[in-house]
Amino acid sequence: MILEATHINKYFKDPERHQVLHDVSLQLHDGELISVYGESGSGKSTLLYILSTLDTDFDGSLQTQGRDIKSLSSIELTNFRNEHIGFVYQFHYLLPEFNVLQNIMLPAMKLRDRTKEEIKADAMTLLEEIGMKDLAFRPSYKLSGGQQQRVAIARALINNPNLIVADEPTGNLDQKNTEMVFELLKDITENKGKTVVMATHNPKIYKNSHRAIEMIDGFVRL
Amino acid sequence: MSNTVFNRTNIFIALQYLLSRKKQSILATLGVMLGVTTFIVMINFMTGVNDFLDDAVFNGSPDITVGAKKDAQKHKKFETRISSLPDVTEIDQLLTEDENVQSFAHQVQSPAILISNTMQLPGGINGVFPEEEKHMVELERRLLDGKGFESLKDENSILLGVSLAKKLQVSVGDELKMILPNGKRTQLKVGGVFSFGITTIDNVRTYFSANTLQKLLGQEQTTTHIHIKLKDRNNIALKSKITSRHDDVVVEDWQDSNKTIVIGNKVRDILTWSVSFALLLVAGFGIYNILNITVIQKRKDIAVLKTMGYASGDIVFIFLVQSIIIGVLGAILGIALGYAISYGISVTPLDTSDFIIVDTYPINFTPVYYLMGFVFGVLTTILAGYFPSKKASKVDPVTIIRGA
Repeated sequence: MILEATHINKYFKDPERHQVLHDVSLQLHDGELISVYGESGSGKSTLLYILSTLDTDFDGSLQTQGRDIKSLSSIELTNFRNEHIGFVYQFHYLLPEFNVLQNIMLPAMKLRDRTKEEIKADAMTLLEEIGMKDLAFRPSYKLSGGQQQRVAIARALINNPNLIVADEPTGNLDQKNTEMVFELLKDITENKGKTVVMATHNPKIYKNSHRAIEMIDGFVRL
Repeated sequence: MSNTVFNRTNIFIALQYLLSRKKQSILATLGVMLGVTTFIVMINFMTGVNDFLDDAVFNGSPDITVGAKKDAQKHKKFETRISSLPDVTEIDQLLTEDENVQSFAHQVQSPAILISNTMQLPGGINGVFPEEEKHMVELERRLLDGKGFESLKDENSILLGVSLAKKLQVSVGDELKMILPNGKRTQLKVGGVFSFGITTIDNVRTYFSANTLQKLLGQEQTTTHIHIKLKDRNNIALKSKITSRHDDVVVEDWQDSNKTIVIGNKVRDILTWSVSFALLLVAGFGIYNILNITVIQKRKDIAVLKTMGYASGDIVFIFLVQSIIIGVLGAILGIALGYAISYGISVTPLDTSDFIIVDTYPINFTPVYYLMGFVFGVLTTILAGYFPSKKASKVDPVTIIRGA
């Protein structure tokens, strides 16, 4: 088990007090591809931010990769995310000032557990795996949406985290690119043993995931 | 995990941001450069003029002058005797005891008419005791021709200010006649010509042997003025000390005699600092503006950097480094340009005005001002960059990513 969330309740205080998550308990296992689906506003993104330790303002407990998230300071959390969690967003969010290779290298340049040359080599390997080696030195804003999302996945993998959190990673892509990105995420779980948890609207995706969790008005439907 | 925010990665990211908007970065750098350049040029020039005037005035005239009260001679209409300073011995005593007195010298000043072959000029003659006067005025430095105070050992030798010599159309070695109030005519020889660089001095100043003048006037023991140089010029307590004990003397200090110059110096100082400050402020606002806009535009990127593991400290550093680079670069360019312009001014020929006599503009190249310009430039940019950087570091990744 890579992550265990127990009795999580979450409230929004603005503009008025409103409960977004109701007593959510969840376990994620190694090598699993888990989809969270549900209507807009059902709380799936909120749950994702909590699972990815970005949001620590909740009631309940979250244990992941041997740590009690609530006991970590903000700088410890930042470092923990850097090393153990990879992020993929709906909008790829590559940094336009940097080229493809540099974008992938950025999280590792922060972690610095390898030399710059090793990081570069690892990034090139990842680029090869997503079939984009020849675009390594292209400015990131000159890629198509599908290409950018694949680069974003490579960036999420550069520090070799065990958990990848993806917020509607295919939400902005056409059919062909959606399939490509989904296959890539599935490959990560099945061949690399990583755990991927993602929010999605797409039935094709959650039906083909290892496990699908539906959320309705802040409740997990089991 | 890198513990310090000062690392190659953060500097790399900062540089990448700077280079990705070259135009803005260059403009901001030019802004700082302009501020520092103006500061350097103005302060070089203004302090150059101030120092020049201070040097000429304070070296050419005493800090405190003690003279006889004028009313003492009012009752006689035609005075052929010059009025003598009373209580000389007591005042000497007082000056010897005062700790702030660096040196003092006695003078015998008398009205006189100077006559050359071609010209005849009414004026005054300063009788000095060379052994005393050489501690008051560095005449050697001011000599254009001939000899300084030592030539006064020859009792008929006179030293003239350069403008006066020009008016009389005489030079070193030429003869002059002098008529004193008692009608005595004396044949003189020009022993030296000097220049203080200020017309008010060079037009009228003469040096003559006080002993000879006393003899010619028939007033052997007369002293008309005492000139005093102070250790600390700004402490003029001595002035009231003298006037309180001797009510029949007039005491003037350097501020009284050089009011326009003192005020001029102050005005130039205020001008220099306010203009430079205003320009640096404008440059600072420029940087503040650019970084602020960048931070607003880059909120999402900052959020992404934060989810990647870049901490608030890293973000502050990444943005602050950008303004520091702009500041340091702008300051260095400003110093170089400031020096070049100052140098250009310092070799620009200056038409001799009525007030100052110099060949080129006086410029003060003191390195401290260059250091100051650098520090001001960099400090302004750090200050201007700090607030947007702080703002950037407070970006909350959750709200940004959710809001997309």
